[in-house]
Amino acid sequence: MDERDRNEGRAALTPEAKGVTRSDSTPEERDRLSRPGMKDWLELRLGWYGFVRKNLDEPMPPGVGWWQTLGNLLMTLLAFQFLTGFALAMYYSASPETAHASVKHINEGVPLGAFVRGLHVWGSAFIVVILVAHTLRVFFWGSYKKPRELTWVVGVLIFQVVLGFSFTGYLLPWDQKAYWATVVGTRIAATVPFVGESLLVLIRGGQEVGALTLSRFYALHVMALPAALIGLMGLHLYLVRKHHIAGPVLPKRGKVVPFYPDQLFKDAVVQLAGVGLVVYFALAGKPALEAIANPTQVEFAPRPEWYFLGLYELLKIMPSGFEVVATVIMPGLVTIGMFLLPWLDRSESRHPAHRQWIIVAGSAVILMIGLLTMKGLLETPPEHHAVHEKPPVASAAH
Amino acid sequence: MDNDQKEGKCSSCSRGGCCSSEKEVKEKPGRRTFLGILVGAINVGLLAVIAGPVTGFLGAPLARRPRKEWIPIADFSEIPQEGAVEITYSHRIQDGYHQVDRMYSVYLRREGEGVVCLDPACTHLGCRVNYQADKDRFLCPCHGGVFDKSGGVVSGPPPKQLVRHDVKVEAGKVWLQKEV
Repeated sequence: MDERDRNEGRAALTPEAKGVTRSDSTPEERDRLSRPGMKDWLELRLGWYGFVRKNLDEPMPPGVGWWQTLGNLLMTLLAFQFLTGFALAMYYSASPETAHASVKHINEGVPLGAFVRGLHVWGSAFIVVILVAHTLRVFFWGSYKKPRELTWVVGVLIFQVVLGFSFTGYLLPWDQKAYWATVVGTRIAATVPFVGESLLVLIRGGQEVGALTLSRFYALHVMALPAALIGLMGLHLYLVRKHHIAGPVLPKRGKVVPFYPDQLFKDAVVQLAGVGLVVYFALAGKPALEAIANPTQVEFAPRPEWYFLGLYELLKIMPSGFEVVATVIMPGLVTIGMFLLPWLDRSESRHPAHRQWIIVAGSAVILMIGLLTMKGLLETPPEHHAVHEKPPVASAAH
Repeated sequence: MDNDQKEGKCSSCSRGGCCSSEKEVKEKPGRRTFLGILVGAINVGLLAVIAGPVTGFLGAPLARRPRKEWIPIADFSEIPQEGAVEITYSHRIQDGYHQVDRMYSVYLRREGEGVVCLDPACTHLGCRVNYQADKDRFLCPCHGGVFDKSGGVVSGPPPKQLVRHDVKVEAGKVWLQKEV
């Protein structure tokens, strides 16, 4: 195959078809252009086979292996969230009057409802775990360095969007846990200096967490965030393919191999294991649904989802009057630090030993978040048994 | 691909040296195909795991079997000797995740000792037909379908007569058999 073929995107054409798109093609070859095979016909119009082939042949430097499968697993899990989310949305109703009943109906009345909701609930937790692992891998391998700065920045944006999904999705069942976590979580916005109260009203859609908060969160969860995520993921993938895989910190000896079949196979094995675990957890138990949200029930101790526990604990140990440090300043600095990482770390080398301060600083932040989360997990009371609504039929009968 | 391999060239990518080593070119197509099939099988499996339940969610309404139930909808005395009367009644139904009192209406008319109950949905496209007392017939406002007093098609596009519900009269009440 010559250079011209590649430049003109004809790499995937059959030899017959390639001939006819050349300027020096023979009359016989040109004749074939008028009767191309189906594959060539599509290729000349869509460029699909060339696209697929280019991606399957993406070069993998030696040393690339299991650590590089996490991105693909994330993509699979996110696609699963999209599909289970679509299924749940068909039975869900975003109103305080009906939200809880509709989720209960999904849990108990819809065929496979508890399973699909379980996939969505466990999938969301897995995504956070894998996302953190993926981010840590890129951090310690120094893969964010030139020319991949923007790949990293887009990845950090995806991280924010995923946390946005978690926060908005948590409210939707409208049970005690959902309601109180949102009351407390949105209250954080009010600690922002000067504009806090306005920000709170903006997020809640009013002074209190209510019908407008629920529809606002639902709109974000099913419209705005998925649109943002799809766009950002597309950009992230484009950049990953444009700059290719960074490979190990120190170049290894060995040959560069194409993505297909070895790396793609590793990806598939990890996808199978990851999805298998989510399916296992979804089958193992019905996803929890507590009693319907009750703003007057005071014995309920609101706790956020486990991946916000670090923030929650940080807030608890902050002395009175310094809440803003835990709610805005520290998370804000960590987020800004993440965005600016490729410019904070100026060293040429990707080796951890040659960029000690960033590794130390990063590890300190990770350790702190880890310890606070651990503290939160250890202090989590055993499964909360809220006073469930009495079944109306049973109480009427006695 | 095969053609290029025979020529000893790498057809894979535009970046020189990535897979042009002798080993790569000589890689057995059997292994490639085998791994390809495995990857395909895993992906089909994953797709099935997700597509099954989602399709189930979509198709769940098809699996629901409605049951029939007799419900009282009017007093027999409400029906005039001549002509039809529109009766509105409410019935509590399970609508997805919640129970609602839904309003329904039917036309009732006497026929001998019994009662005829006509559904007001036009058999053309489901608009609600109006009763014209002066002509003792039903008129559909959408496309001009006309039905006679017992529901038969007089003119217009409706393909068949108005649907008759099963009704009975017991203890002075009109009972309708409803699918719920």
